[in-house]
Amino acid sequence: MKNRPTTLLLLLPAALLVGLLFVLPILGVLSLSVYGDSGFTLGPIRELVGSRVSLVVLERTFWQALTVSVICVVLGYPAAFFMSGLSTKLRAYLVYLILLPFWISILVRTYTWIIILGREGIINRTLAAFGFSPVQILYTDLAVRIAMVQILLPIVVLTCLASMLDIDKGLVKTARSLGATPTQAFVKVFLPLSLSGAATGGIICFILCLGFYVTPALLGGRRSILISNLIDIQVHQSLNWGFAAALATALLIITLACLALFRLLTRGRTEFSSLGVGR
Amino acid sequence: MRAVLAVYFTVLVLFLILPLIFLVPISLTESQFLEFPPQTLSLRWYSAFFDDPTWINAALLSFRVGIGATFISLTVGTLAAIALVRAEFFGKTALTAIFIAPLILPTVILALALYIVFLRFRLVDNVLALTAAHSVVAIPYVVMLVSGSLRRFDITLERAARVLGASPIKAFMLVTLPYLVPSMFAASILAFFASFDELIITLFVSGGAQTLPVRIWNDLGLKIDPTVPAVAVMLTLLSVSGMGIGELIRRRNERRYNTITSAEV
Repeated sequence: MKNRPTTLLLLLPAALLVGLLFVLPILGVLSLSVYGDSGFTLGPIRELVGSRVSLVVLERTFWQALTVSVICVVLGYPAAFFMSGLSTKLRAYLVYLILLPFWISILVRTYTWIIILGREGIINRTLAAFGFSPVQILYTDLAVRIAMVQILLPIVVLTCLASMLDIDKGLVKTARSLGATPTQAFVKVFLPLSLSGAATGGIICFILCLGFYVTPALLGGRRSILISNLIDIQVHQSLNWGFAAALATALLIITLACLALFRLLTRGRTEFSSLGVGR
Repeated sequence: MRAVLAVYFTVLVLFLILPLIFLVPISLTESQFLEFPPQTLSLRWYSAFFDDPTWINAALLSFRVGIGATFISLTVGTLAAIALVRAEFFGKTALTAIFIAPLILPTVILALALYIVFLRFRLVDNVLALTAAHSVVAIPYVVMLVSGSLRRFDITLERAARVLGASPIKAFMLVTLPYLVPSMFAASILAFFASFDELIITLFVSGGAQTLPVRIWNDLGLKIDPTVPAVAVMLTLLSVSGMGIGELIRRRNERRYNTITSAEV
């Protein structure tokens, strides 16, 4: 299709919709963080850097995202490894199984954890039945972390799996025929080749963690709120728009930085896959 | 080693589907309160949902907004996908990234941004504006699925139609479009549920209007009665069956049109 007007006409509706309701509004948020009623101002940014609350919440968001991503990779990698060794047909069914929770609303999935972890919840009543004292998990960072891992794990498993399936199986066989033990073949050949896929999954997970709102709001206490919740509070309770915009800008910049890292990793990945090494 | 991994994998899957394991029995309780396992089974809380006009209205609003957002995102997204696959132009990568971006960027940023715009143009509590906002969240699915399917399409079929005398538009409409229909169907199911599940943007811009997720959200703050599990089970049944049907249709179509491999061999 070399017809310019047709191309333009095809793109116009979507570009208009996304331009008016995505790009321009976000640019508006960016400008709101540096423009006040009286023109250019560094007020909101200064407020952001000077505010203890926002620094604490930013730090907490970072740590929650990091721990959740690491846990997801550590739990997800062996699962993906198991799936990579199965027949194509069986693997396809297991992919559906892994994706099943993905089709349940996040709100619902989070809500279930209230039932499981709550004071009168399933875990505590089971503990009580055996004579143990109840544990406080709901409304702590731990509850938020458990639920986030459960929500994000399918993504990490499938990303790891995709990179494992890219690996040329002949490489492992070659290592074995050259005298490596199964463990050596795994550690020296398979693991390094699949590591970039695991890292990719971890970064996607990290990026998605940064934006979590429902889970910390429902399962966390007052002291487990993440940056999304803080933005919400600034808008709906403190009515401090400039500050909310500065927080959103910070969140946007961090997300974009992670995406840049992600692109760097995925670009490097092709040379490790079967296409690069195998030929 | 294999056995250990298999056991581990089973435990992991159980952890993943834990919500379903508990949700279904809890929603079937007879009691006033959440209990697991339920003493007596009943559909009491399912009928409670249908007897409460606020739940019904929330569900109806969600359907209205969801269907509208699906229609908008499917139309504009499919047109854009055609241009993105078939045409070469400056800034194509950047434009693709922007269409996909709503899926990746933290939703709260978009929610805040839209809230500011909606306040300025008095669009808060406007169902049409909410529908348009939801269609932005749904577009990534349409662009990804339809452009993916179009890329797999064997273009020689369309060329054959052209050689046999069809105009470019006619060739596209009669040959390529039928091939795209199943992926458009799958995309519209994903788009619908992207809207149907959307909470954060709706909380920011809907004013007082309650979609189903907002109604659930508001209910969670007040009391915990078993209506929410009942709604959750119904929602899950709806989305799992919808996506299942979409996937089945997509796979059947891929098999029918599997011409590329045979052409290349």
